[in-house]
Amino acid sequence: MKISYAWVKEFADLALSAHDAADRLVNGGIEVAAVTPLAPPDLRGVVIGEIEAIERTLGESQGHRLVLCRVSTGGRRFAVVCGAPNAAPGVRAAFAPPGAVLPGGRRIAAAAIRGAESQGMLCSERELGLGDEHDAGILAVDPEAPLGADLVTYLGLDDFVLEIEITPNRPDCLSVVGVARELAALTGSRFRPPAVTLKEADEPVESLAAVHVEAPDLCPRYTARVISGVTVGPSPAWMAARLRAAGLRPISNVVDITNYVLWELGHPLHAFDHATVAGGTIVVRRARKRERITTLDGQERTLTEAMLVIADRRHAIGLAGVMGGGSTEVTTNTTRVLLEAAYFDPATTRRTARALGLTTDAAYRFERGADIGALLDASARAAQLMVDLAGGRVARGVIDVYPSPRPRPRIRLRMERVQRLIGSAPSREEAARILGSLGLAVRDSRAGLDVEVPSFRRDLAMEDDLVEEVIRVWGYDKIPSTLPGGALSLVTIPPALRQEATVRRALVGAGLHEVISYSFADPSRDALLGDADVDKPLPLLNPLSQDASIMRRHVLDGVLDAIATNVRRQQPDVHVFEIGKAYGQSRTDVRERRWVVAAVTGARARAWDTPAAAVDVFDAKGLAEHVLAALGVRHPRTVPGRARQVFEPDCDGALDVDEEVVAEFGEVRAEIRERWGIAAPVFAALLPLDVLAAIAPAPARYQPLPRFPSVHRDMAFTVGESALVAADVEAAIRAEAGPLLRHLTLFDVFRLPDGRRSLAWRLTFQAEDRTLTDDEVNAIHARVAARVSERFHVTLRGTG
Amino acid sequence: MSHPRVDAIAGKARAAIAAAQTSADLEAVRVGILGRSGELTQLLRSLGSVPAAERPALGAAANAAKTELETALERRLAEVGAAERRRRREAERVDLTLPGRRPPQGTVHPLTQVHDEIVAIFAGLGFSVAQGPEIETDYYNFEALNLPRDHPARDMQDTFYFSEDTLLRTHTSPVQIRAMQGQRPPIRIIMPGRVYRRDADITHSPMFTQVEGLAVDRAISMGDLKGTLELFAREMFGPRSRIRFRPSFFPFTEPSAEVDVLCFLCGGDGCRVCKQSGWLEILGCGMVHPQVLRNVAYDPEEVTGWAFGMGIERVAMLKYGIDDIRLFFENDLRFLTQFA
Repeated sequence: MKISYAWVKEFADLALSAHDAADRLVNGGIEVAAVTPLAPPDLRGVVIGEIEAIERTLGESQGHRLVLCRVSTGGRRFAVVCGAPNAAPGVRAAFAPPGAVLPGGRRIAAAAIRGAESQGMLCSERELGLGDEHDAGILAVDPEAPLGADLVTYLGLDDFVLEIEITPNRPDCLSVVGVARELAALTGSRFRPPAVTLKEADEPVESLAAVHVEAPDLCPRYTARVISGVTVGPSPAWMAARLRAAGLRPISNVVDITNYVLWELGHPLHAFDHATVAGGTIVVRRARKRERITTLDGQERTLTEAMLVIADRRHAIGLAGVMGGGSTEVTTNTTRVLLEAAYFDPATTRRTARALGLTTDAAYRFERGADIGALLDASARAAQLMVDLAGGRVARGVIDVYPSPRPRPRIRLRMERVQRLIGSAPSREEAARILGSLGLAVRDSRAGLDVEVPSFRRDLAMEDDLVEEVIRVWGYDKIPSTLPGGALSLVTIPPALRQEATVRRALVGAGLHEVISYSFADPSRDALLGDADVDKPLPLLNPLSQDASIMRRHVLDGVLDAIATNVRRQQPDVHVFEIGKAYGQSRTDVRERRWVVAAVTGARARAWDTPAAAVDVFDAKGLAEHVLAALGVRHPRTVPGRARQVFEPDCDGALDVDEEVVAEFGEVRAEIRERWGIAAPVFAALLPLDVLAAIAPAPARYQPLPRFPSVHRDMAFTVGESALVAADVEAAIRAEAGPLLRHLTLFDVFRLPDGRRSLAWRLTFQAEDRTLTDDEVNAIHARVAARVSERFHVTLRGTG
Repeated sequence: MSHPRVDAIAGKARAAIAAAQTSADLEAVRVGILGRSGELTQLLRSLGSVPAAERPALGAAANAAKTELETALERRLAEVGAAERRRRREAERVDLTLPGRRPPQGTVHPLTQVHDEIVAIFAGLGFSVAQGPEIETDYYNFEALNLPRDHPARDMQDTFYFSEDTLLRTHTSPVQIRAMQGQRPPIRIIMPGRVYRRDADITHSPMFTQVEGLAVDRAISMGDLKGTLELFAREMFGPRSRIRFRPSFFPFTEPSAEVDVLCFLCGGDGCRVCKQSGWLEILGCGMVHPQVLRNVAYDPEEVTGWAFGMGIERVAMLKYGIDDIRLFFENDLRFLTQFA
């Protein structure tokens, strides 16, 4: 909300500058987003001058007739060249004499124009930075305006606009008077609430209007006044200027008065053209099903029974607390005004405004809670202004439908509570003074301060609210700085967090970069990553966009995004991982499951001494094994072809422990990565962290170091095109070799010209109690070689 | 002590040693003289067949020659070896300005780094870590936190919904409720996690990360909150950092405060980052609202508590001078590798 600081000062004796006042408000909990001068800050020395005479014409310039004027500022006379169409003798206008400064720092000096010396400049609105007007000519002012007076002061522009942003609990600060009250309390100065004096005519209001509230639950109070004999026309300049400073567009005196009072006192009002309200009767009722109304903005709206309308005897004429209707709008033909000041239920107002997509100044206040006790003052103030500015006559009395007046809450504040909650407290007298300055009635009783809360502070409902009020005004800087005492207890970190830290350390150590991506996903991309092997998707009711309209079911989604981003930006080697959640809906509930996904594309490494080698599926498998090892999961079994559909069918596998899948790896299907715009192969490993958390790592146990030397033997097999896999051969070697085999390492794999593969293992034998002899080892070695080649029909290529 | 037979062998050997240019030459000389079938070795071995009268003189001379030649060989080997190594180094000279062979090194995401830093600071102050689901019910996210339906304060947190009752949590505060339901005071926890709000621009992300803290005990005051946060600010932003409390409003705390930290770029003089104010808004906090305590069956006359919450992105942006929140989730390697 934008308000003029000069306006605020009408209601409080404030000696502070606008900026200091803003600081004080901020420190008191009222956010001030900006303090803006009304006039350009560098505009200086411009005064009111009168064109006494046009001395002569100097010719044409860019379609304008240039004339030499004689300008008077009362004491001095200047010869001034001017090209404005409205320059005429007797006109008083904005005049910048030599030495004056225009916006942008332009200093005016005497200058020769068309052979004449121009001693200054007559200025347009635009040249002064006060508006956009330029073509109409110089900024003319009232012919009675004081000659030589400072223009900015004369126009009331030596003022600042405060842009107030309130928290939802402080609707009372959505007005000039509210801010003045707050500032007075915060600075200890005097608050002067506006005095309303209203002269009423003889005609009783009841003879002109009636009010029936059929929904008192949604409209606890409704008041109406009637002002007759008004002449609708433009508002006076001072009022229009204040409304413009507030960011409002002046419309007509009657409408502007309701807005002016709204800004000044904070209470929304509505003026109906009395002649258009059937029978002069207001009915406050719930809307009928599918009832229609055309609102002031010209839109036809269809209502529901949950909405509250203002109606006459025939139909709805306004949306209560949100916006008036077009049919009863005040126009230039209006002569009698029915003035509404009412209180509408916050929740209903909020739901109605939201349902219709309407945000109005009135709804903004009603939904935060208007001041039910201030209606009559606001109504009287507006009626008085209609008398003063529109020539109206106020009917005697006011219709006030307020069946169950709200009691004022009473709260007791114990100073011990302040001390306990804050760790410090002002004196009891100081606390009482502070509460009083905020407009609360305070009585000091033995048990504490008994406070009666006025209707404009509905946010104060309990003792701790008063604690905040006292401390807020006393100063948050006076809160002491201490540390909590109490017993020590063990600090615990959830196992999930520790597990994630372990995984992260392992992968970062392996050269991967951690990424974090959005939990949202595009439904079609998400389905492409797999539909059958996951929970059902969870769609958002109100997504920001279609491509982020469900929760992701695959963490790979975000990892592919990260790869795509980098590849697109000329970074082809991407080695990344994400630890994150996948979300979905099972038959019974909503599930969030933790995953780590590592993915690589491009070259494994680039260095000056080795050729760049492209990553392949064994990088993905190795990353999976690396993470499992870091988590203490030993000896997982490889099951080729068992991973999910995200991988190429011939290049995927799972790692499992006791029949439970603990990792999946493979080459991401080309169709998928192409959808992400990635041209090079991508290899990925996916590990379910929740599953892994349930597997207890094998505890570390010390093994005595071998005391006798080991003996190595190598053996290589040639394997045909069969489905035979290395793991099977390896298992057979282990089984045949017996307990003296300490290590078994596959050290060489290559393809022979005929297409068969050669696999070579190194076997390390060692005994715990003696040095093995060559004969002993050779015997085992020969037996293993014979049995394995026989069992699998592989050819032994050589041993050694 | 000389002997003509020894002198002949020794003389020849001395010349050969002096002439040797490589360690291989010297080895050949050694083998020829002192090796298993070397001349001097043979001579010593044949001492038994030498007449007894001649034997002592010949033996002494041969042994003396052996010692002398061994020393000479060693000395010459040192010279030749040094020369050889010099030649080899010259031949194999390397350009040491070439880059070293570094092991691959990955990076931890900057948000994780800041997260870990914050968690470590509060763990050091005795706070345990608690977590909760991201997909929450209206009750835990709003109602239990004193934010009834149709409360305008819900505007402060524009929410993503799955149904009328299921939503993406807008803050980590539901974890407070779950934690308090699960245990009796005293409580000292911090709650990090992803949260979601329907908002997107250069300072707002629809997904971001929050850390909340909660302390509930028999005697715990806003002064303790201030002291704790001062310690935090000094750990996080440097020993000279200062904070200030400003009154604010949150439905789940009363009194509430917004906390600013003295701008660490300009030291409070005013700059672009702090928008000339000298202060940076860093977190919101307050004393736990009595209604929230009642909602978890705590007696507000018996215990008091405080809570605070901050956005990790905001802290990271301030710490590293990042001006666009979206960079965190774009994952450009050139961004990620700046925070190693």
